[in-house]
Amino acid sequence: MGKKFNFWYISSLLISIMVAIPIITVLGSFFESTGDYYTILKNTFLTDYIYNSIFLLLGVLFLTFIIGVGCAYVVSFYTFPGVNFFKWSLILSFAVPGYIYAYSLNAFFENYGTAFTILSNLFGEGNYNAHIPKFDGILGAIIAISFSLFAYVYVLTRASFHYQSQNLIELGKNLGFSKKKSFFKIILPSARPAIVAGLSLVAMETLSDFGSVSFFGVSTLTTGIYNAWISFDDLTLANRLSSYLLIFILGLFILENISRRKAQFHTSSKGGFKSKSLIKLNGYKSFFAFTFCLIIFLISFLFPVSQMLYWTIIFPQHLANLNVGKLFYNTILLVSLSSCLLIALAFISNYGNRVSKSKFLKILNIFSISGYAIPGIILAVAFITFISWFDNQIINHFEIKSIKPFFIGSILGLVLVYFIRFYSLANNGIKSGYEKINYSIDESAYLLGYSKFKTFKNVHIPYLKNSILLISILLTIEIIKELPITLILRPFNFETFATKAYLFASQDLLEAAAAPSLLLIVIASFFILITSRYTLKE
Amino acid sequence: MKKIIVIILTSILLNNFAIANEVNVFSSRHYESDIELYKKFTNQTGIKVNVISGKDEALQKRIIEEGTNSKADLYITSDAGNIAIFDSKGMFQNSMSPTIEKLVPSNFRNKNWVGITKRARILFYSPERVVNDDLKNLNYEDLANPKWKGRIVIRQSNNIYNQSLIASLIFNNGKETTGEWAKSIVKNMARDPKGNDRAQILAVAAGEADIAIANTYYYALMLSGNKGLEQQIAAKKVLPFFPNQNNRGTHMNISGGGILKYAPNKGSAIKLIEFLLTKEAQQHLVNNTYEYPMIEGVEPHELLKKMGTKFKQDLTTDVASYGQYQSDALEIMLNAKWK
Repeated sequence: MGKKFNFWYISSLLISIMVAIPIITVLGSFFESTGDYYTILKNTFLTDYIYNSIFLLLGVLFLTFIIGVGCAYVVSFYTFPGVNFFKWSLILSFAVPGYIYAYSLNAFFENYGTAFTILSNLFGEGNYNAHIPKFDGILGAIIAISFSLFAYVYVLTRASFHYQSQNLIELGKNLGFSKKKSFFKIILPSARPAIVAGLSLVAMETLSDFGSVSFFGVSTLTTGIYNAWISFDDLTLANRLSSYLLIFILGLFILENISRRKAQFHTSSKGGFKSKSLIKLNGYKSFFAFTFCLIIFLISFLFPVSQMLYWTIIFPQHLANLNVGKLFYNTILLVSLSSCLLIALAFISNYGNRVSKSKFLKILNIFSISGYAIPGIILAVAFITFISWFDNQIINHFEIKSIKPFFIGSILGLVLVYFIRFYSLANNGIKSGYEKINYSIDESAYLLGYSKFKTFKNVHIPYLKNSILLISILLTIEIIKELPITLILRPFNFETFATKAYLFASQDLLEAAAAPSLLLIVIASFFILITSRYTLKE
Repeated sequence: MKKIIVIILTSILLNNFAIANEVNVFSSRHYESDIELYKKFTNQTGIKVNVISGKDEALQKRIIEEGTNSKADLYITSDAGNIAIFDSKGMFQNSMSPTIEKLVPSNFRNKNWVGITKRARILFYSPERVVNDDLKNLNYEDLANPKWKGRIVIRQSNNIYNQSLIASLIFNNGKETTGEWAKSIVKNMARDPKGNDRAQILAVAAGEADIAIANTYYYALMLSGNKGLEQQIAAKKVLPFFPNQNNRGTHMNISGGGILKYAPNKGSAIKLIEFLLTKEAQQHLVNNTYEYPMIEGVEPHELLKKMGTKFKQDLTTDVASYGQYQSDALEIMLNAKWK
């Protein structure tokens, strides 16, 4: 018993508890009594909130499934002109945050928007407004979120196809299946775990989205929580809404975990993957595949980038006024501090789990979904509330200086909340890497007289070098795009590309928001290109 | 472990420790021109202005939770209802000085906070589809008339400017009457509310509706050409109209702020407010944001003058009532199924 509570166990425990703080805070305030400010809302629009959330979720899942699996299927099994380009360029949509996609969508299709300008320039004056489709409201939100998230499904499905031990189409052919039948009977089921994993990630991000839905004025559970808690101090209702969301996401998380386990089973087939011959498409089929991928690339990446580029060019003064160096420095500062912390702690926690083999720790580890389960904006406020409670209850007793200034409105606070938000990403990455290291390697190290720390440092870290690189790049992209946490917790006079873009946009100056948005996309794209280079090589 | 220690040390070093000669502003106004103005203030006084801008709700939450440790001196926002509600939570302290009292009309301030600029929430109509007879003596109240059925656009009920407009109607006409009015407005809407104020004006320009309710500066921004040629052309297809000219006047709202209860730099904060109310600063504000000046003797932007400066502003409704009736306003709109 005494031996169990060593350094690794304790640190692993502490990390898990820290990540669980926001969930504990949200659930804890269940016992506080509050006013009934929102009775009216409950009688009028509450069902709309739930309906909108479900409708949004289904819409996004449908679109990301079609686009993600469709693209992964064509580029994995066939060759046609441009296939190698599409393989990586389709991932670039990761660089475009949902809210920036929303700005572009609105700007292009609104009355007298960019589409109107294009039509007027092509065909002269005319009343085009009535004929230009309007992608706003919930439809706009579904499109913006889908095109900024489908890459999750695409990347995971493609990887699953990539690691198949034999050519599934050939298998179908041998069985006498038509192409359509092979697709539905063999290919789709074989990639099911990967698809489900991708879709659950999409689902979690969709449910906690705030930027796109608030831009389009769609009331969802998330905006409901925000209004109930932050605007009206009605914690009871906020918590009731949060718990709906939490249960939903917990379900998705379990689903994702189960399918991940299955995915591992599928991919661990011993012979590894051998290069399989791809089917060459000819004629109209080749044209169709090419067009499909091109359209997705155009809509998901080129469209928002062009809109932002267009504005940056016709309103160059906004770019000139931007302090790019400072914004870049701030963004990179946050990225590097947070990634280091995240990876270091995910490592310690995983290693602690590994050496202590404690069931309790494993269960506690489930709380690492905390970051996913609670929307960023709610997370940030939960953090402030917690620090303030802790300060008032504990620190004041000892009559020492308040700790609030260290955590609220400081880089430290920001990094800590990023840590909670993105811990699940880092943790899962390290975990899946660790699962590939056989326990016997640890045993051998101990036999050689290595201490636990030495095993960790000299055996595990070199083993996982590649996973670390990949995860840090993913974290980088996420943190560059992060908005609500940065907005509320940042220090004075501290701007990033994301906050700058948001502030202009909320002042109805989307033209001015274009320059920081464009730079944000360029930087994130750069990191994505490194990632895809690296993964394609692997 | 070393990394962690380095991280913690760096963060502590980067933390903003209070410097004597500074003032910390929490602002939900996101104008770049505000920042330029603060720089001017620093040049004149040597007092550094630190700014955090963000959404009102989040900024308020942060100030409340930081409590006595809050470094915030001044909270600036662009709606009277917002300020008044924050005031009713006891978050401000006396922000007045004789200078401020002399400059600002009494319905645009109380002892804890003060308006800095004004904006009007008015009607924008299509001259092709709305005739002069319709506009004669038109009041906000008259938009409930069934003759406007399917012709009005206005944004969602969660919008603070709408809440303040409806609060002013409750203040003047009572809750019950305004409740009926809101129900009629919803019936008269040309479409479900969506988009910002500019989107409403565009909807009239594009022929989707005949009358839009929107704030004045959105229209001026479109006319200015800063949003491109198409927006300018669209703006020229609609005309502004100032309602309630034969009674209390057009609904006015403010951007303003107050000194926070635990402000560490109260003296500097007062200086900053007084600076914002100087002629020089007011001219800078109205030139860049197309708002109306708070003080006498400053001309609004040319584009606003073209819209008409001789209109009667509502100077009898205390803007503090927007806060007082905010929850009633939201309740009325929700009950009217105003999305």
